[in-house]
Amino acid sequence: MMKPIRRLAGPAILALGLAHLALPAAAQPRDALTLCQTLEPPILDPSGGAAAAIREVTYGNIFEGLVAYDRNGKVVPALAREWSTSVDGLVWQFRLRPARFHDGSAVTAADVKFSFERAVAPDSKNAQKWIFEPIAAIATPAPDLVEITLKSFTADFLDGLAMGDATIFSAASVGKAATEPVGTGPYRFVRWQRGDRLLLERNDNWWGPKPALKSATFRFISDPQAQVSALLAGDCDAHTNLGAHEAVAQLRADPRLAVTIGRTEGETIVAINNAKAPFSDVRVRQAMAMAVDRRLVNEGAVSGLGTPIGSHFSPNHPAYLDLTAERPVDLAKAKALLAAAGYPNGFAATLRLPPPAYARRSGEIIAAMLGQIGIRATIEPLEWPQWLERVFRNKDFDMTIVAHVEPLDVNIYARDTYYFGYQSPAVKEAYARTKTARTEPERLEAFRAIQRQITEDQVNLFLFMLPKITVARKGLTGLWPNWPVPANPLAELRWE
Amino acid sequence: MNPAWRHPSFGVGAVLMALVVGAALLSLVWTPHDPTVMRIMARLRPPSAEHWLGTDQFGRDIASMVLVGARNALLVGLVAVGIGLVFGVALGMLAALYRGRLLDEAVMRGLDFVFAFPAVLTAILILTWFGPGLVNAVIAIGIFNIPVFARQARGATLQVLAQDYIRAARLAGLSRMAVMLRHILPNITGLMIVQGSTQFAFAILAEASLSYLGIGTQPPNPSWGRMLNDAQTYLGTAPHLAIVPGIAIAITVLAFNLLGDGLRDLLDPRMKER
Repeated sequence: MMKPIRRLAGPAILALGLAHLALPAAAQPRDALTLCQTLEPPILDPSGGAAAAIREVTYGNIFEGLVAYDRNGKVVPALAREWSTSVDGLVWQFRLRPARFHDGSAVTAADVKFSFERAVAPDSKNAQKWIFEPIAAIATPAPDLVEITLKSFTADFLDGLAMGDATIFSAASVGKAATEPVGTGPYRFVRWQRGDRLLLERNDNWWGPKPALKSATFRFISDPQAQVSALLAGDCDAHTNLGAHEAVAQLRADPRLAVTIGRTEGETIVAINNAKAPFSDVRVRQAMAMAVDRRLVNEGAVSGLGTPIGSHFSPNHPAYLDLTAERPVDLAKAKALLAAAGYPNGFAATLRLPPPAYARRSGEIIAAMLGQIGIRATIEPLEWPQWLERVFRNKDFDMTIVAHVEPLDVNIYARDTYYFGYQSPAVKEAYARTKTARTEPERLEAFRAIQRQITEDQVNLFLFMLPKITVARKGLTGLWPNWPVPANPLAELRWE
Repeated sequence: MNPAWRHPSFGVGAVLMALVVGAALLSLVWTPHDPTVMRIMARLRPPSAEHWLGTDQFGRDIASMVLVGARNALLVGLVAVGIGLVFGVALGMLAALYRGRLLDEAVMRGLDFVFAFPAVLTAILILTWFGPGLVNAVIAIGIFNIPVFARQARGATLQVLAQDYIRAARLAGLSRMAVMLRHILPNITGLMIVQGSTQFAFAILAEASLSYLGIGTQPPNPSWGRMLNDAQTYLGTAPHLAIVPGIAIAITVLAFNLLGDGLRDLLDPRMKER
């Protein structure tokens, strides 16, 4: 198991790391930054894995796409200076700005074509292939002009291109993207000490305005208490998604630190294996929902800082429907439903939990709440690699708790082979409508239909939106208060 | 008054142990509250008339959890030491009986091999392999008790075997097995009890460590080690969450160590002559 070993090894590595970093940090204190984050990315190639930690390091720093999300979730130009669409919405033209990769080569239309074709290739590990699937052809009429023709009208095509999964690579350096990434962004990769830290340095050839910070270090501290200690000790200048929600009061009291409570796009859910009995019976899932008081889970797991949700949809989005009152807590009714489904005495099941504190804490509360209607949940803690292998890939689980942090990720309910095994023609149809909708109201209505359907089918237990707790030393400005996408664009930061 | 009680270590140890055992027994029939019931809106309360030791991060009653935790700790100690005693003494006596022969060498070098690994570290390895949980944790801790008892038992058995009355018993026609059970086992029991007491303390500490690391006792069963783990992020805001189980572990380990010390002195014949 990795957790204990990491705990034991942490202090030793930390001591070694500080020894040679202390000097430069002291000499030039105001253009360097140590940013701490909870999870270490497994790889650094955002087109090769779903882990949010990859984007937290690379998005807008090492790598860029044609377009990007800004801090408000709006799509803004990145490598594409401007773009236009044909009247029928099928042909997109992107005009590239003069930009260079960190190895000096120019960014051309051919790189865009290469990157998107690579992303959708059968052997690609891209986690969001849906972005590229509508593409019929990519033409490169000029080195700075990309012309993408779609198979059919796709309303969220541009939104997809703003995600980290649609990063632009060069064919020459993509092979090393996982460990020694070469991108186009304002910061270049310097060094990665696995298990501890990753060093970035300003790319002075970047196309945008010169960033204030000359260098930045990402440090990975998974233990919530160690995160708090590192902030108090000054080892971290900032933590952009603190795990220790209960320490907020303590950190707020420290005059050197500023604490901001924001929102992520992380729908925290109890994912249920819909393909497996007894969970394949909708009555069982509805009964479970009636036993779980999400307000209390929010309170106990994240100190009440999250926002309760009744479906898999973010309150930040205009199509959001508040469905939290849909299936109120009712133990008697829940037991009756279980009995009707053939489980008058409940049943035993496992609850496999990944490491984050929100999951472990919610898990204990959920197990106790389900116990009230006779569902005996055994908690099994897993480390992330085990969780990804057993739960996410092999679908070997009854229940798990995880936050889905991608924006507008309700499309996972329309997939055929997603880990929670839900199949619904109605949701697939509604999801298709979100793609073909010609007007914004039509599109929003389609999203609302999905929300209603998955709540009706109680696919999973929808708990709360994960809060984003940003703690930074006073004087550091420019951190994103919310996370429309998990990202820490360093170019926007400066010391006052 | 029995002279045993006048031995300071033994006396203090016995009183503390009575306290822990009493708490464990009491928890079987009564706790102030149900230790698994969460009252989330009443979480992190300081000690009060209703919750003598306050409530934890989920609003559970800490006093009740500590009482039930005592049961958990004693159970772990008993089973883990039991495993060590049964297998360790059997293997140790066997090795002594075949002293210098292949069997002796095989058994003792095999146990040396187990003994060479740091116990808690290897328990972590075992739990990673077989999955976290109390049962696996107890077995892992028990396995590391085996060589401790085996070495002691072998040494003590050899001492007894050298006595004249053993030769007499053998000449009188008693089988090896009968000699073992009737003469040797009673003679080494005292020593094993002393060792058991120390190992008991070690087992409780090991379980607390493993549960602290999240791979021992799993929720919702209360465990002192896990209470400590859960408490660590609340140290700045609700220190009683960590202090209470910490004191419980300290008292229990101290009790068994003192008891072991006292017993060693009391059972040592040289002490009696003084």
